[in-house]
Amino acid sequence: MPAVPIEVLPYIRGIQLVLSSYEGYTKGKRREADGLIRDEIKRAGTRARNHLSNIQDIAFKSDKMDIAKIAKLATSEIDNLIEDVDKSVTGMNHAFFSGARSVKVSDLKKLIKHDHDVIEMVTKAINIANSAEHAFSTSTPDEEVKNLVQQCQQMITSCQGFFNSRNKILGGLRQKTK
Amino acid sequence: MTKRFRWRDNPNVLAKLIDANNLNTWKAQEVVLKPNEACAFIVDGRIGDILTEKVVSNIAGGFNRFIGDMMGITAKDRRLLFAMTGPADISIPFTGNLPSGSNVNGFANIRVQIRDDDIPKLLNMFANSAPMLDRQRLAEVLHNEIMMRVVNPTLAECEDEIKLRSSALQDKFEMRAEVELRATLSTLGFTFLKAFMTLNQTDNEKIRELQAQLSAATNTEGAHAEALMERIAIREAATMRRIECEVNIAKAEAAGKVTVEMQSELKELRKQEAQWEAELRRDEGKLNLRMKESSHKTEQAMALFEQVQANKRERIKQQMEHQNQRMDKQNDLQVKMMEMAAENDALTPEVMQEFLRQQTAQKAVDGSGIEVEAAQAAPEQYECKGCGKPVMVGWNACPHCGIKL
Repeated sequence: MPAVPIEVLPYIRGIQLVLSSYEGYTKGKRREADGLIRDEIKRAGTRARNHLSNIQDIAFKSDKMDIAKIAKLATSEIDNLIEDVDKSVTGMNHAFFSGARSVKVSDLKKLIKHDHDVIEMVTKAINIANSAEHAFSTSTPDEEVKNLVQQCQQMITSCQGFFNSRNKILGGLRQKTK
Repeated sequence: MTKRFRWRDNPNVLAKLIDANNLNTWKAQEVVLKPNEACAFIVDGRIGDILTEKVVSNIAGGFNRFIGDMMGITAKDRRLLFAMTGPADISIPFTGNLPSGSNVNGFANIRVQIRDDDIPKLLNMFANSAPMLDRQRLAEVLHNEIMMRVVNPTLAECEDEIKLRSSALQDKFEMRAEVELRATLSTLGFTFLKAFMTLNQTDNEKIRELQAQLSAATNTEGAHAEALMERIAIREAATMRRIECEVNIAKAEAAGKVTVEMQSELKELRKQEAQWEAELRRDEGKLNLRMKESSHKTEQAMALFEQVQANKRERIKQQMEHQNQRMDKQNDLQVKMMEMAAENDALTPEVMQEFLRQQTAQKAVDGSGIEVEAAQAAPEQYECKGCGKPVMVGWNACPHCGIKL
């Protein structure tokens, strides 16, 4: 496992603001780093989901079915993200026996950058969900609340896409170059 | 050789709490935690690590722990809480009524999930029940609550069977289930994912289905009968057409025979006609020939008649000229006599009277001469016996009708 490239150090610092134990994919900590990222995404997704569930509950109780439906769609999207993250590839312990090729510096750069982007997106999603709940509890028009919920859903969808790209990079490590 | 420990031998099992003290400790046992499985360690009443995607070796401690237990230097209580972390569907049967009184029964299907962080909450479930949780047990736990809080209120808002099958009702059911059950499920360690109702047929729907089936059967029977009638009509039309064709053929054959007979008869008639025409032409030719001969004789007779008439006219003309000359001479003579008498003064009234008397006598003599000649010419003509027109004496045939005289 090569050393962490200098170019991605800012990204690592950014992730460490959220995950203090994250050190990039250093030797012997590849699966641990992967697990940390996944756990953080699940945790952040659950936070956003809780906000949206609150909106859904209150909207249903106050007979605002359109907002409740939109919130339900967003929570379903978060459930999908969590399920994707929960059942994603991890990689093997022993590259020699598993048939995986060695990790290159470029792979590390991509992975760390993806981790950073995914964490950033899911954090934004939490913020938007929080804003939506706050707007819903104040006298903000329903249209604005719906827009915020839909923005949150869009952010979760983007996060899901980024995470799938990250899986693709990890999956690529399992194939030896010819 | 490490023994593989299996915590689950039934797919309906969702979670299981195992007392590690009941496992053999002197022999090593391991468990493989797959991505949809997780295990929480509860040691001496405290919740420890939650593991997943891992091979946990020496789950019961093995020989070392066996020795430690004997020496009293290991934990006194060790429990393993295994759980499936994948989505799980549970079906809760229900029976209810619509506001119209129609009976509704079916299943409330709920999809829940145990997440890794929520596995220790399953202890709430096992606090007052057996240490194994399966789908049936979870359904039993949720049955009353879901009936009272979700199913009955949802059915109460449904006015008829049409709304019962609408997507709006399913949406409301899902929303209500999530809102009402979230707290309970969260307490038990579950995350609510989805819910929907599976409804059996209501009595009214069964009646409508029966009506539809009967109607369809009636329509089917009607369609069969109609098709059969149409088939019979087609066959009838075909049969009638065949009979008509056969009749036409027979007629045509009969007409053909008649035609042949008529043609032969026509030929005979034409033959007869030609014969008659030939005879007629022959007779006409004969008649024409006769007429030509007759007209030739007539022309000869007319020429003779004209010659006689010309001679007669010549003779009368000569007589008239002779008479005129005589009259002129007499007139000249009388003029001379009168002039002589006048010259001799002998022209007296007696002379004049005598003169007129003699002249009148003279004229009377001349006039009686013409009448005698006319009386002598009249007996030369007589009337034809065939046509009644005048013919001359001595003619052999009548010039008008051609008969022989």
